[in-house]
Amino acid sequence: MKRDHVESSNVESIGYDTSTRTLEIAFLNGAVYQYFDVPEAMYTEIMNPGISKGEYLSRNIKGSFRYSKV
Amino acid sequence: MGKETFLGTVQDVKGTTVSVALSDGSLTGFVYINGQGYRSGQIGSFIRIPIGFMDLFGVISQVGASAVPESQIVNQPHGNRWMTIQLLGEGQRNGSFQRGISQYPTIGDEVHLVSENELERIYGQPDKPYFVKLGHIANAESIPALVDINKLITRHSAIVGTTGSGKSTTVASILNAISNKKDYPSSRVIILDIHGEYGHALGDRANIYKINADKSREKELYIPFWALNFDELCEISFGAFNDEKDKNIVLERIHKRKEESLVKYPRQGASLDSLNVDTPIPFNLHHLWYELYLETFATYYSKGRTGRPIDNVAFEIDSEGNELKGNPKEGVPPVFRNVKNDKDDEEKINYLPGTLNIGKQLSLLGSKLRIPRYNFIFKPGNNWMPEEDGKITKDLDELLKGWIGSDRNITILDLSGVPSDILHTVIGVLLRLLYEALFWSRDLSQGGRHRPLLLVMEEAHIYLNDEFKGMASKIVQRIVKEGRKYGIGAMIVSQRPSEINPTILSQCGTFFAMRLANSTDRGQIIAALPDNLEGLTSMLPVLRTGEAIILGEAVKLPMRTLITAPPKDRRPDSQDPIVYDEVVDEKSQYPGGWATKMEIDPKYEELIEAWRAQNPKISRISKKE
Repeated sequence: MKRDHVESSNVESIGYDTSTRTLEIAFLNGAVYQYFDVPEAMYTEIMNPGISKGEYLSRNIKGSFRYSKV
Repeated sequence: MGKETFLGTVQDVKGTTVSVALSDGSLTGFVYINGQGYRSGQIGSFIRIPIGFMDLFGVISQVGASAVPESQIVNQPHGNRWMTIQLLGEGQRNGSFQRGISQYPTIGDEVHLVSENELERIYGQPDKPYFVKLGHIANAESIPALVDINKLITRHSAIVGTTGSGKSTTVASILNAISNKKDYPSSRVIILDIHGEYGHALGDRANIYKINADKSREKELYIPFWALNFDELCEISFGAFNDEKDKNIVLERIHKRKEESLVKYPRQGASLDSLNVDTPIPFNLHHLWYELYLETFATYYSKGRTGRPIDNVAFEIDSEGNELKGNPKEGVPPVFRNVKNDKDDEEKINYLPGTLNIGKQLSLLGSKLRIPRYNFIFKPGNNWMPEEDGKITKDLDELLKGWIGSDRNITILDLSGVPSDILHTVIGVLLRLLYEALFWSRDLSQGGRHRPLLLVMEEAHIYLNDEFKGMASKIVQRIVKEGRKYGIGAMIVSQRPSEINPTILSQCGTFFAMRLANSTDRGQIIAALPDNLEGLTSMLPVLRTGEAIILGEAVKLPMRTLITAPPKDRRPDSQDPIVYDEVVDEKSQYPGGWATKMEIDPKYEELIEAWRAQNPKISRISKKE
């Protein structure tokens, strides 16, 4: 999946696949995870330059969606 | 030489053990040489005894009261001014150092501390390309820890340490160094990766072969059954036979099929005269199984038919009138009608005359031919799966080329998907194939003598603890005993050295001993060490993580080394799971752990999917580019 680089203290890049509603997060340590069934609106929100990626991830995605390491 | 390095004088020499009485001045503990501070009398640190134009070198193994020679106990009841030294080797004044000593010190010889400059002279030859740098000497950051790869590869090595002591990191560090294409364009390494830890660390430098491979970055691991020798094949397919007679029947049948295959498709190097049942010639096991199954279980119409009994097999008929003949390729056995011998019925059904007595073995093999987990052996892809007459599209050369002759220097054989009941045998087969190929090709440019191979055996205690009963330990024993001559080097990695057969361990020339807390494990290592080094080995339980004592043939002097860890994205995937991340969640690079709340819909069906498929990557993962 194509990911876009983001400025963050823990996230390296973020990608999204609309057809399968999959959000892909690459952390700075190189680990990549896919969160499943994430609404596209949330992807739009997290990519908003004004939003802190780590904070958004922690508040809205971690613990809300199941994921898998890829 | 300066007074400041002076520690004391030799008082007693017994073999390579030397007792030294410390001078008053050296007892202050801390000395400065060229602006560098040294603590004198540290266990494990080196000393120098100048004798004429030579220097003897040794390591401090004991300091204080118990180091007093027995004869002196009466005179010096508080004998804290003593230390014991183990001699290691000698050096010319110009700096060259060699192991072993040609002369002994005598009473009154001066004992000096070894300064960093001198250490550098002994250890440091960074300009020689056959030395790889793995880190630096523990108490001297400026001195690189260099390992001679000539000795490291051919004389075998062992990396031992408790879980979490940094073993995998050390392996990754060594592999990182020797897979450097600039210095070693033709280096050749195979890793037997039992838990699938290394793919992540060496991904871009290695080919990964795996069962159920993720095609985007891994290749499918195949071990064609016909490359196995007879014992290996039996172990994996038929299991044990009831008696020699049954075994011989199967042996003859395999031999016959190989013979027919060779006649039809001649292969360079193999001839009918030299062919035996162990020769790696393709044949079709599925049809052999079917044939034997028929002969073991079949019933036949014994009355009123012409031809041999085998031509009149009484297959069961299904509701649509088809004979249930089964399918050799899929491992589906035929179904036969029951024996019938009724008085008024013209139709008589009987067992075939002279049936074989290998029903159990055939049922076992049949189930293995059907279970997908065994496909890597019994259905080795389209390339290596022989047709009924033994025809194949690709031979073993392609298989071996993929493993040891590709553009990448490292090959990871990820064995995490191998069923555990055949793991020992599979490892044995892999090692034997590699060994035999490199052994026989020793005169060729790609043979073992001209392009040596390093075999890294992770978690070796799993398959080397069985007193040479298993295939794996037998072949490893052969490799460590004879591999040196044919360019096959073993690197044995384990956290339980006490479970590794001592014969194997004692053949390892170089040891990377990391922290070892368990005393049985430590005893095993100390017993196997090539040097007499009580002082250094007593440090094993207190080594820091990532710290190793490297000793043996690949290093000039034993070195206590701080291994430089590879970059973060090059580390093996053996880190412990995080239970509660130490950084706050907003900064955490870890999505789970006990601190994160549960998702609303965790979908356990996916958990079962992974289990059933024996593949941690579920199908839901989006692979879109």
